[in-house]
Amino acid sequence: MKLPVRLAVLFTAMAAATACAPQTSGNSSSGKDEKTGTLRVWLFQEVNNKPKEQVVDAVLADFRKAHADTRVTVEYIPVETRAQRIKAAFNDPASAPDVIEYGNTDTAGYVKDGGLEDVTEEFGAWDEAKDADPTARQSVTVDGKVYGAPYFVGVRALYYRTDVFEELDLEVPRSMDELASTAKKVRAARPDLYGIAVGGAYTYGAMPFIWANGGALATGKSGSYASAIDSAAAQKGIKAYTSLFGDDNCPAAKCAGMGGNDTVTAFASGKAAMAIGGDFSHQAVEAGKAKGKYAVVPLPGVKPGSIAPAFAGGNNIGVLKSTSHRTLAVDLMKRLASKETQGELFDAMGFLPTFTDVRRQAAAKEPFVKPFVDTLAAGTEFVPASPAWAQIDSSLVLPTMFQEVVSGKKDVGAAAGDAARKMNEAFGSAG
Amino acid sequence: MPGTAPRPGGRSGAPWLYLAPALVVLGGLLVYPIYQLGLISFLEYTQAQVSGGEPTTFQGFGNYAELFGDGEFWRVLLATVVFAAACVVSTLAVGCALAVLLTRVRAVPRLALMLAALGAWATPAVTGSTVWLLLFDPDFGPVNRMLGLGDHSWTYGRYSAFLLVLLEVVWCSFPFVMVTVYAGIRAVPAEVLEAAALDGASQWRIWRSVLAPMLRPILVVVTIQSVIWDFKVFTQIYVMTNGGGIAGQNLVLNVYAYQKAFASSQYSLGSAIGVVMLLILLAVTLVYLRLLRRQGEEL
Amino acid sequence: MNLPRARVRRPWRSAAEISALLIAVVVAFPLYWMVLSAFRPAGEIESSEPRPWTLSPSLDSFRRVFEQQEFGRYFLNSLLVASAVVVASALIAFLAATAVTRFRFRFRTTLLIMFLVAQMVPVEALTIPLFFLMRDFGQLNTLGSLILPHIAFSLPFAIWMLRGFVKAVPEALEEAAYIDGASRARFLWRILFPLVFPGLVATSVFSFISAWNDFLFAKSFIISDTSQSTLPMALLVFYKPDDPDWGGVMAASTVMTIPVLIFFVLVQRRLVSGLGGAVKD
Repeated sequence: MKLPVRLAVLFTAMAAATACAPQTSGNSSSGKDEKTGTLRVWLFQEVNNKPKEQVVDAVLADFRKAHADTRVTVEYIPVETRAQRIKAAFNDPASAPDVIEYGNTDTAGYVKDGGLEDVTEEFGAWDEAKDADPTARQSVTVDGKVYGAPYFVGVRALYYRTDVFEELDLEVPRSMDELASTAKKVRAARPDLYGIAVGGAYTYGAMPFIWANGGALATGKSGSYASAIDSAAAQKGIKAYTSLFGDDNCPAAKCAGMGGNDTVTAFASGKAAMAIGGDFSHQAVEAGKAKGKYAVVPLPGVKPGSIAPAFAGGNNIGVLKSTSHRTLAVDLMKRLASKETQGELFDAMGFLPTFTDVRRQAAAKEPFVKPFVDTLAAGTEFVPASPAWAQIDSSLVLPTMFQEVVSGKKDVGAAAGDAARKMNEAFGSAG
Repeated sequence: MPGTAPRPGGRSGAPWLYLAPALVVLGGLLVYPIYQLGLISFLEYTQAQVSGGEPTTFQGFGNYAELFGDGEFWRVLLATVVFAAACVVSTLAVGCALAVLLTRVRAVPRLALMLAALGAWATPAVTGSTVWLLLFDPDFGPVNRMLGLGDHSWTYGRYSAFLLVLLEVVWCSFPFVMVTVYAGIRAVPAEVLEAAALDGASQWRIWRSVLAPMLRPILVVVTIQSVIWDFKVFTQIYVMTNGGGIAGQNLVLNVYAYQKAFASSQYSLGSAIGVVMLLILLAVTLVYLRLLRRQGEEL
Repeated sequence: MNLPRARVRRPWRSAAEISALLIAVVVAFPLYWMVLSAFRPAGEIESSEPRPWTLSPSLDSFRRVFEQQEFGRYFLNSLLVASAVVVASALIAFLAATAVTRFRFRFRTTLLIMFLVAQMVPVEALTIPLFFLMRDFGQLNTLGSLILPHIAFSLPFAIWMLRGFVKAVPEALEEAAYIDGASRARFLWRILFPLVFPGLVATSVFSFISAWNDFLFAKSFIISDTSQSTLPMALLVFYKPDDPDWGGVMAASTVMTIPVLIFFVLVQRRLVSGLGGAVKD
């Protein structure tokens, strides 16, 4: 046989083999709906997890009272390895949990992977759901169907050290330009501090700079996104963010590799005069050296006095498609994400509730929350609601872009162009 | 001992009986997964296909074309080859030099060096990588203090990060070379060495013209093993450069494949990289077999 | 075998011995630092003036490690996995090495090349297919899912290394045994096996280390049953990216390294002769 012929035969054989060869999980619903047995729950492990465990334990105690003959086991999984664990769970229904906590940026991807159960009906019938804020509701919705209940919202704002600002006689920055100049003033006067701690891998801290400058990550809507990260406005934002790296604020050698948690840790341990942190970082900062010497304001926008659009992060609780206890799992989901639980979680962990009324009560109780609520009220942005986002996020497209600029490997235009190309590839393959 | 005669009374089935357990295990857990790997590299295979959300489609050489068309792949490939070569050469040089040193010293220093080396060998790769990171930490590592480098960050620059990983790789892999070569030298008849020494040959000459030729089979084995291990280096790069370094500057093929497959869920691209690695190592094997043939040795 | 070989002049020998000791110190330093960091009291690791000693050694870090949920269980699991891998791969490799060195048969060379090639497979790339294989056999979340692949991955190297050893046993011995009326099985287990034992020890070191240190399979195959977890997974708990607990990491690392070290010291002598024997023809 001539080579081309042989190849053709080989390919035909392989194409035929694909019909049966590499395995797929057939991850359809189990179809079963048992009313007894063991439910498995995976929640995220937080930096200081004890208070969260206590709230959850109380919920489970009530759940067990309501459903005799059921057991619930809870496992707290580390956030950074979640992707692998949850994918493995999708691939092996036998070891999959029934109920999971998941980040709202993962919603579209998990739905496309066929991992989450559609709970539109139950969510619609749930009387508490009508108070869920629209952004949060959007974060569990894909193509009009609901795939879980919002658990809490996470939004970031500007932490700053009151003592340092007082000592150096500085004003709280009212615009992004002032933010940069204030940071440099701090660094010049106090070389032992970063002016503002920034990280090359801190995507969600960098995005407000892009949005505030009128840029966007992508344009379009479900099904047909195109990257806009290389637009002139977005590039302006990238330039603004990356200009904060350098010996006059946050040395590239240290900061290029930092992620969000690293910058918060730097602030909490007293190594930075400012940082972009979330409401959920409150506890970590309180536990550090900066305790009692800091305040929070919304991150300023381009115009003096404006607020930069923040990323509306947060987590949801969902039911896995492979569950064999659908009714029980949905009930547990509702209990874990109920108004009461969210109120308790706020007291214990500082997580911002997703229900507008509960959030209002929280803000009244705890003035710390005000800048975050203000930020939410000023309008938030979200990542493209595309399954491709999970891939863009996990293949580090944006951190790579920032790091290339920060370390001087590429200029802003080239790095943004490459990132846009990679994003479009992902949109193209995942829709 | 070439030309072993067939065992007296040996049925032709006997060797296969002995081989059966090994073949079953290898066939099921190595050959079959490799077949799957090759197959996946020709498919469109992402998380959606894995969990059954979408059907798999045949891509032909599409994944390979995508890979070879990506400038980053070639950059990573080059880095991998150069880095592995540097690791192999350094490991062999350090290992051989210390093996010779071991034969020149009395029991106490020899035992000290041997134990230290075994300790380095015994250290799990993850642990070793972490400890080295701690040693070279810009803020609280002793190395920068000793060298007076202030808060110089070793992992920021591409080459200094590779250098740091190289040091750790050499640290944990030279003991194998040292112990093996040392064992080999001890097996060399003492008279041969004494004769050479009496002739007034220098240490270097003794090594070059007496020891190295006699140790050749051993050296070939440790070289091949080092090539195999260093080309596949994973944990050290993954841990020490935090998954591939700033903007992926410290990626090597194995980590690159892992990131593609698991971080980005592009299993087919990850598999294609795995296949490319396998082919490169196969080429190395062929060279090795050639070498053996030329020496008239048989397997 | 302490030969007065290649007589070295005194000053040279002193210089060699001093450098050997110095190198030993350098090589051991990372290990020393690991143990030292494990014993440091809280906060001292993060000090910007690292001192190569600690004035107030503390067991706090070790306490945190041992207080972890089911730490003893993880330790036992790891031990079980590593021993199962060592024993199984040693036995299987012994049989296979005997077959390829004491018999001539078709495909023998091909097989040998396959054993060499099999070592080159990048393990990380095979995690995906292996995951499905384990799932289909219902082995996920069991120690079996760790033991089986490790046997497979340590076999090729073990067979390759053992060959030289089996070869070194003289043919005459085997013939003599048969003439004395020994059965094939008797020769294999009573005569050949003890003679090859040092080689088995040497190769076992490799399979032990790879099984004991494994993260990848444990992370990928033990999805939801933490009671089947192994030591390296317990170590991972201390790697929090936002605030790595260096003391905990170092203490757990120390605990993990000690069994391997003990194993090494025990087999040290056999290891040296084993490696020498395995590669000489």
